[in-house]
Amino acid sequence: MFERRLYFHIDWLLLGAVLLLAAIGLSMIYSTTYVTLPDGTGHAGPRFWVQLYAVGLGAFALALFLAVDYRFLAEHSLFLYGALVLLLVYVLAAGVRAGGSQRWISLGHFNLQPSEFGRLALALILAMYFGENRRGARNYGDLVIAGLFFVVPFLLIAKQPDLGTAVTLVPVCFGIAYLAGLRLRLIAIVAVVAVLLAPVAWKVALKDYQKLRVETFLDPEKDARGAGYQQIQARITVGSGGLKGKGFMKGTQGQYKFLPVAENDFIFSVLAEEQGFIGVLVTLGLYLFVILRSLEAARVAKDRIGAYLVGGIISGFTFQVIYNVTMSAGLAPVKGLTLPLMSYGGSSMIATLAAFGLILNVKMRRFTN
Amino acid sequence: MSSTPLMPDDRRSLTARLTGMQYIVASLFAALAIGFWIFQVAQHEKFREMAEENHLRRLPLPAPRGVLIDRNGKVLVDNRDSFNIALIREQSHNVEQTLHILALATNTDEAQLRETVDRHRRDPPYRPIVLIENASSEQYIAVWARRWELPGIVPQQVPSRKYPGSDLAAHVFGYVGEIREDQLQRTEYSGIEPGSIVGQAGIELAYNKVLMGTDGTRMVVVNSVGREIGQPIGEELPKEGRRLQLTIDADVQQAAEDGFAATGFNGAAVVLDPRNGEVLAFTSLPAYDPNAFAGGIDRATWNGLNTDELRPLSNRALQGKYSPGSTFKMAVGLAGLEEGVITPDFHVFCGGGQTFYGRFFKCWQKGGHGSVDLRHAIEQSCDVFFYTVGNMLGVDRINKWATLFGLGVKSGIDLPNELQGLVPSTEWKAQNTKEKKWYAGETISVAIGQGQVSVTPISLAVYTATLANGGTRVTPHLVKAVDDGQELRPVPPPPPQSQVDVSHEKLQAIRDGMWLVVNGEHGTARRAKIDGKDVCGKTGTAQVISNQGRTSARTTKNLRDHGWFTFFAPRDNPEIAGVVFLEHGIHSANAASVAKHILETYFAKKEGRPLPPAPTRDDMHLDLRDPFARSTAGVEGNN
Repeated sequence: MFERRLYFHIDWLLLGAVLLLAAIGLSMIYSTTYVTLPDGTGHAGPRFWVQLYAVGLGAFALALFLAVDYRFLAEHSLFLYGALVLLLVYVLAAGVRAGGSQRWISLGHFNLQPSEFGRLALALILAMYFGENRRGARNYGDLVIAGLFFVVPFLLIAKQPDLGTAVTLVPVCFGIAYLAGLRLRLIAIVAVVAVLLAPVAWKVALKDYQKLRVETFLDPEKDARGAGYQQIQARITVGSGGLKGKGFMKGTQGQYKFLPVAENDFIFSVLAEEQGFIGVLVTLGLYLFVILRSLEAARVAKDRIGAYLVGGIISGFTFQVIYNVTMSAGLAPVKGLTLPLMSYGGSSMIATLAAFGLILNVKMRRFTN
Repeated sequence: MSSTPLMPDDRRSLTARLTGMQYIVASLFAALAIGFWIFQVAQHEKFREMAEENHLRRLPLPAPRGVLIDRNGKVLVDNRDSFNIALIREQSHNVEQTLHILALATNTDEAQLRETVDRHRRDPPYRPIVLIENASSEQYIAVWARRWELPGIVPQQVPSRKYPGSDLAAHVFGYVGEIREDQLQRTEYSGIEPGSIVGQAGIELAYNKVLMGTDGTRMVVVNSVGREIGQPIGEELPKEGRRLQLTIDADVQQAAEDGFAATGFNGAAVVLDPRNGEVLAFTSLPAYDPNAFAGGIDRATWNGLNTDELRPLSNRALQGKYSPGSTFKMAVGLAGLEEGVITPDFHVFCGGGQTFYGRFFKCWQKGGHGSVDLRHAIEQSCDVFFYTVGNMLGVDRINKWATLFGLGVKSGIDLPNELQGLVPSTEWKAQNTKEKKWYAGETISVAIGQGQVSVTPISLAVYTATLANGGTRVTPHLVKAVDDGQELRPVPPPPPQSQVDVSHEKLQAIRDGMWLVVNGEHGTARRAKIDGKDVCGKTGTAQVISNQGRTSARTTKNLRDHGWFTFFAPRDNPEIAGVVFLEHGIHSANAASVAKHILETYFAKKEGRPLPPAPTRDDMHLDLRDPFARSTAGVEGNN
């Protein structure tokens, strides 16, 4: 099914930018997880190697999702979606627990985090649904059905609990509906209702630790030793980087662990500290390029499924990038939301590269029938 | 494979919406870039400092305080290494629990530990809070053994003060302690960190700046849990405080304290060099052990010192105000001579008492002294003679001369918190009492150092030195030299408080009388005589309660009279002068015994003879008969 001529339609620039971002992430993980021995020597930490394998596996997944026609995948999206829901149910039933939540399936040497693949499955099924029904997203009944597709994995993930990852399903859903012609008036109404319901949600839906995070965000000094600590440290990390940064592996904030889980949620802070504002601009530029270029892919897509698929995937991606980068500078409540392509995390890396496989897939097949 | 190609209509709408998304994303990214620019470029300096504060620690290396040596170079106060047990809060996961375990391990009061931590709650969390100062080796071992259960608890090696032991010269040295909140506010302590050890009394307080030295620092890199990483990146060694040479002579000081110890009385003694005001010995008893403060005093000891009825923390030599009794008589005699009221040959007949202003004032000698001149009136401490002279002078002329010789005023000694006594005058009475008018009858009591007259032991020592040296009211001082880094550089003695214009001849008559007190046939302090040394002196008894009061009160130990003996030697060219005050010492002769031991030690040392051994109680020949039995009729008389 992979015809030779398709090879010439691969968006090599987009692929290059994606891999470059993964490489930047790898180098930052190398820097923060480097193990210094008492005798002064040292070696790369185990997490660097894990991430490197993940990039390798991700590249394989990317190739796979590029090779198989996205329409084929969309047509079987119900099957993929069902598999995902089953995995999520399995996680809740028999997953691996760590740090107070149950998110992983043990696969011997490493753990798989099915929720990271949720965006992919949801994007496929929603793209299929709206792409095939010819009415787009103008019909309220269709929106309700789309909402059901969304709400099942959302609840399953939120129950782990992993509200951060669950929330990333929202922009996927919203992006597809928006491209499928969701009435702007409806968006406005939803926004107004959301604002009105926020206090209720605050009282009913949020757990204490989540409330604390929001409260702390509004006034980090209030709990400078506790929840506000990460936020204050994030700002110090970013701000102390300056224009040119402190140099590779020379960041005091990341190296001396003032910033918790630097290789994960706060990898961008480490980049800002060690590579400075210049490094930030280059990296943000790459991300922006990847996003805009992907949106171009949606524009030139041959069919609605392709356009919606790309739009959904890239909406989720964009949301994650913007939220994580904002959080990295201590400007958003701290939430377990990784920076796609850069943060440490195997499942996230594989899922993200697979997703870009799909985007490249749509663009590559823009002329095929 | 089926698919739904995009219709032209669809594509137009899709393109518009995609363009909208692109604009939104691009502007969000622009906003992010601006945010990072603000933090990383505009506010970089602030965050750079905060990052540095995060990972660079300035550890203080406390400087040892300056050593104190005596006038002959003997080390009096030194430093030793001791261990503090401190808490670094940011390294402790659970401060409450850590304190609990620490209290158990070291057998200390958990509440007190918590209080200490609470007192420092506003300090930065990485600054060690000293919980146990001067830890015993048992405590140190206990902490070391349980170090895994005590994260954040660290031992610190610090120099701490070592005093000669027991309470020798405690009131000279004073003590050290952690700087108080109110001191931190004051300008003279500017630049001193909270938690620093500063002088809190005595020389330690008065010369704190010189003695304190400069703490060093060590810069280390620490990680987020405060663990030091790698080698220190900078070190500034502490600079020891400057060495001070005191005017104190350790042997004379010891002699004074031994003398007191032999009598068993409390009190005070000040011994001066009358030529320049150097303090050779200075003691106030009861005292305290300054070593107890050196490593942070425990609450029980501190409370004990503060609630002790005998008030060991009060410096009696500077702050105790007592009636001078007969030691005041030289001032009255001198005033009589200088004011031209009497000559040295002026005679008064003493028949055991005399009536003034319709009231009978008795002499301490029941049978009377017969006809006495000034010299013999001093020798025998005849009350009637001085009643008469005082009556001729009036209180204001007595006040003038007593004040000129240093009574009722501060001596200006270089120790903190000196109080001043009182020599009354008509003006004083007008301003400070309800009665206002001075009655001539009151002068009669003043003439023998009773009534409202009160003096501090130090002022009485200055008075004696001024009589001895011919009228120079020297300023007593304790510091002879300061180490300037290379050698001891002598500190010029402070200028005298005043120079009294007094006739040598008239002063000599007073001195003769004082010589007779010790060497005369009827002298009241013959036991202080030392052959060949021409010791001069004067006894005095200060009543704690009037005779009338005593009869009505049930006699208790703390109503017994105080005993004074003021002295100088030799009579011609005196080089030592001083005062011994025995609190409730009953008889002034007992004070003379202490003075004699001081003088013998001084001269033996000067002449290179072996020093006399510490006296025993028997050597003191104490007269402990409480004169309560004596007649309570009439008005007080004393010897």
